[in-house]
Amino acid sequence: MGEITTQTYSRREVLKNAGLGLAATVSAGTLAASSAPLGVSARGVPALSRRQKATLRVVGQLDANTKKLTAMFEHLHPEITLDYINVQAPDWDSLFTKLLTMVAAGQAPDVITVATEGVQQFAAHNLVVPLDDYVKRDKAELAEFFADVHPTLVEAMMYKGSLYELPTDFNAVDMYYNPTLFAQAGFGRPSDTWTKDDFYKIAKAITKKKGSLTTTFGYGWVVRLWGSWTPWIHVNGGDLLEFGRAPGGSWLWDTFYKNDPQAKGRGGGLHWGPPTANLPSNVEALQFMLDLINEGISPVPTVNGGNALQGFFASKQLGMTPAGGFWAGGLHAAGLKANQFDVQFWPKWKTQRTHFGTAGKMIMRSSQNKDAAWEYCKFYASKPAMTIELDGNGTTPTRRSMMTAARYAPTGPSHWQVFYATLDRAGTRAMPAPTYYNAMSNVLDKYTTLACGGTATAKQALDGMQQELESLYISSIK
Amino acid sequence: MNQQHALPARRPTRGGALAWLTEETTAGMARRKTLLAYLFLLPTVLGILVFTAGPVLVSLGLSLFSWDVISPPTFIGLNNYQQFLSDPEGLKSFVNTFIYVALDVALQIAVGLSLALAMQQKMPRWLRYAFRSAFFLPLVTSGAAVSIVMSFLFNKDLGAINYYLGLLHIPPVPWLSSASWAMVTVVLTSVWQQMGFTFLVFTGGLGTISPEVLDAADVDGARGWRRLWYVTVPMLSPTILFVAVTGVIGALQVFTEPYVLTNGGPGDATHTVVMTIYQAAFQNLQIGYGSAVAALLFAVIMAVTAVQFGLSKTWVFYQ
Amino acid sequence: MHSSTVAARRYQRRPAQAQRVLRLAGCAIGLLPLLVAAIIVVAPVWWTVVSSLRPPAESFSLPPQWLPLHPDWNNYLDVFRKIPYGTYVLNSAVVSICVVAGQIATATLAGYAFARFSFPGKTLLFWLIMATLMIPLQATIIPVFVLISKLHLNNTLGSLILPALPTAFGTFLLRQYFMGLPNEFEEAAVIDGANQLQVFARIYLPLAVPGMAILGILTFNGTWNDFYRPLIFLTDQQTYTVPIGIVSLFGYLSTGSVSTVLAGVVLSVAIVLAIYLLGQRYLVEGLTLGGLKS
Repeated sequence: MGEITTQTYSRREVLKNAGLGLAATVSAGTLAASSAPLGVSARGVPALSRRQKATLRVVGQLDANTKKLTAMFEHLHPEITLDYINVQAPDWDSLFTKLLTMVAAGQAPDVITVATEGVQQFAAHNLVVPLDDYVKRDKAELAEFFADVHPTLVEAMMYKGSLYELPTDFNAVDMYYNPTLFAQAGFGRPSDTWTKDDFYKIAKAITKKKGSLTTTFGYGWVVRLWGSWTPWIHVNGGDLLEFGRAPGGSWLWDTFYKNDPQAKGRGGGLHWGPPTANLPSNVEALQFMLDLINEGISPVPTVNGGNALQGFFASKQLGMTPAGGFWAGGLHAAGLKANQFDVQFWPKWKTQRTHFGTAGKMIMRSSQNKDAAWEYCKFYASKPAMTIELDGNGTTPTRRSMMTAARYAPTGPSHWQVFYATLDRAGTRAMPAPTYYNAMSNVLDKYTTLACGGTATAKQALDGMQQELESLYISSIK
Repeated sequence: MNQQHALPARRPTRGGALAWLTEETTAGMARRKTLLAYLFLLPTVLGILVFTAGPVLVSLGLSLFSWDVISPPTFIGLNNYQQFLSDPEGLKSFVNTFIYVALDVALQIAVGLSLALAMQQKMPRWLRYAFRSAFFLPLVTSGAAVSIVMSFLFNKDLGAINYYLGLLHIPPVPWLSSASWAMVTVVLTSVWQQMGFTFLVFTGGLGTISPEVLDAADVDGARGWRRLWYVTVPMLSPTILFVAVTGVIGALQVFTEPYVLTNGGPGDATHTVVMTIYQAAFQNLQIGYGSAVAALLFAVIMAVTAVQFGLSKTWVFYQ
Repeated sequence: MHSSTVAARRYQRRPAQAQRVLRLAGCAIGLLPLLVAAIIVVAPVWWTVVSSLRPPAESFSLPPQWLPLHPDWNNYLDVFRKIPYGTYVLNSAVVSICVVAGQIATATLAGYAFARFSFPGKTLLFWLIMATLMIPLQATIIPVFVLISKLHLNNTLGSLILPALPTAFGTFLLRQYFMGLPNEFEEAAVIDGANQLQVFARIYLPLAVPGMAILGILTFNGTWNDFYRPLIFLTDQQTYTVPIGIVSLFGYLSTGSVSTVLAGVVLSVAIVLAIYLLGQRYLVEGLTLGGLKS
């Protein structure tokens, strides 16, 4: 049941850990009795008393899956009632808006869903609590979770030395392509280390015109921060912000990733420094995109065109496009069969590093039921819960053991292994998401569209971006 | 009682307030009308005082503070206003909004009025219903669909509109990717969606014009365009004022179309004032700043509306 | 029969065919711009309907396919399978009907007062009411939500209904409408001995029915399609309204089928269109004003 440390546990505490760990892997019913014993751990973090009743307000989508999860959780923890706050927000913005109004009215939920976009912003503004003490207390139980999750995903959830979330789903940027269009142009599946030049050759060959109308484009994308022209920034060796690692974090790495080579050198979370938007390598990357547009190989990208992009790809008018694991379910819903699309690592330029976003549950500082909230977070990150919640391939589970052929058989793609393997690629890390992420995303939209619309050259656009990001950065460190 | 007074007493006499109200004089009638007016206004005014006045005052008050929702607000006086007025982006957002207002309101009135007038001709009832439904349909289509549809129609390279233009040998229009065209696209989307509203209001307005007046004009020799310009439009002027005023007030607060179609871009070509407010409040945790911009916008809207009403005395004709 | 009528008839009988053709041609020419406008306006909505009947892969191709080859009605069934759409429709209906009834009542009264009475504070009150139109929702939503919470209305349909009962827009609309009606009716009625309430209820109120119908239609549509307020005020799925339901069909990270979303939209459009058809019967082009001759 995980590592034994020099810490002394009360007998009840051991029972509690054992009970919960087992209960998490066996579905409802058997070990509920041992799920909430009395007692206080040696660290002084009180375990949940059976007499304490708590109602947890949890943000989430309510559907058939969540009903199953609620039943499961409430069976394991009869003293906790789950009160779902549905936020049917179509995007990060609406979710954030709703959360803010709830916080303002003193109605903040206990547990919220936060993705990479908001992790540092929430942590820096003291909206949420670090999970360090809880994780240290329950490390025996959590060992199997961390063993199943790639360290880079965990690092993305850390800020200034503390862990704020257990990551449960993620999406890395990979290249989706249409194998039929490839074959028609005379290409098979690109190799794992295919290069930017290979990519260009294929994209050009796929592009077909009928008179003045281009019927097929080699490559298409939409303007946003995750997975737009940003993977090209990364494979060309640069980034939008200076990347660093915060100190600390050894409490986690030493405990859970002692022998994992992928954990080497990781610290207390990502530290985003001053902006580096107009690095020559970034200008080169943007220029590459503009060249593709000017040569007619790419359509002009738009902001917020995600659904349309999926539609265009599904209707076979795009040869390649950046997307993540969530498109497996998405393309299936759009009408594509499993053999009509496939995925490969991003083409190699100077490196093959791309980025990802990940999400999970955070505990709000205003919560009166932090202990119960933590139980829910642990439960949500358990394998049975994740298996129920993350069916349908609408996103990628962070647990390696859940990435199986059976999972992707109904939707495709055939090379689903790429999704998780991308995390091993040459330092793939979280997308740049500092405390001022929202403003930064708007700035990126603004200057990218200027360049793509022909109003600015790549250099001018990135110089402008650099300037605005700099003033945002300066305000953020005040 | 002093019998030398010829005029009725100004204070209630025997019978008190009830007599004061019910006396059968012009003054009594005026009092009854006043009381009735207040009674008629009571639900609206009460509702506004309870549900709107408070939040509006709070919002205006917050403009003097810096507040990120999580920690308590801190008083910073007029800093938010200074910050906005010294930001060139701020001025740009007002300019964008004014351009949008001019294009949008003019087009809405032109389209709505033309359609309503064109519908005046004789046609079978089912056809009338069909046309009315057609023009109303966009208004009824909810936002989620509009964003999907428009991103398909207006895509420069893969969109339907440019496809058909291409068949006519017109080069593809960069609807959403050109700074100059983006505003046009936003206006077109908005007019498309809202035309049912102006059409409906003008149809109702035309319905208040008595056919006798129109017949009289015919007899007097004013037909067709003359009758339209000298009779119909003046009779319709209260409705036109309504559409213009509400149109301008609404257009000055435009947010959804540019947010969904272009997120204020390309660059900041379609970045409107309310978008600044939204971003400040809900993306950057700067509620105070957002409130200050809202207060400035409020002042502008109030001023513009007052001017519209002032000018209306010269061209609006009430019976 | 009058001889001139007979003569006229004889004259008309001969080129009757030609006249009929000319008349039809005239009608057609008059109707043509309307037809063109209607086609342009309906095309995007038609695309929505057609796309709801087939997978997105077939909807985004060029040339656009305006007829579904194999209509798949499953998307409509999916809407009901994935979310409690019926509950949402009921909620939306309750809210919309209450708001429409309330707004017609408050706006007609207030609009009449502004149009036909003079009283101290009239200008001030009018501008106070109009001022509520001039602050964007984005600026007030947080204080409004705090207020709603303090009144314990949050997460109830009441939070959507009560604040919406007073309407500056409706008041303004009905004011203009009443101001467009002639004064002679009141004068005639007062001479006949009617009091102010009777003038309002018996004379002007029936005349205002088209204005009320317009307000009713616009308010029904606006309330039905409101997304922002329900998003912020409601947290319990049982209280959700249709727009929220439609958005939830998008799924996490927009991985739901777009066709299903559009199916939800089409259902919603059909309902509001039905209400519109009901309401616009009260709209008549060329209304005869109750036979009251001046």
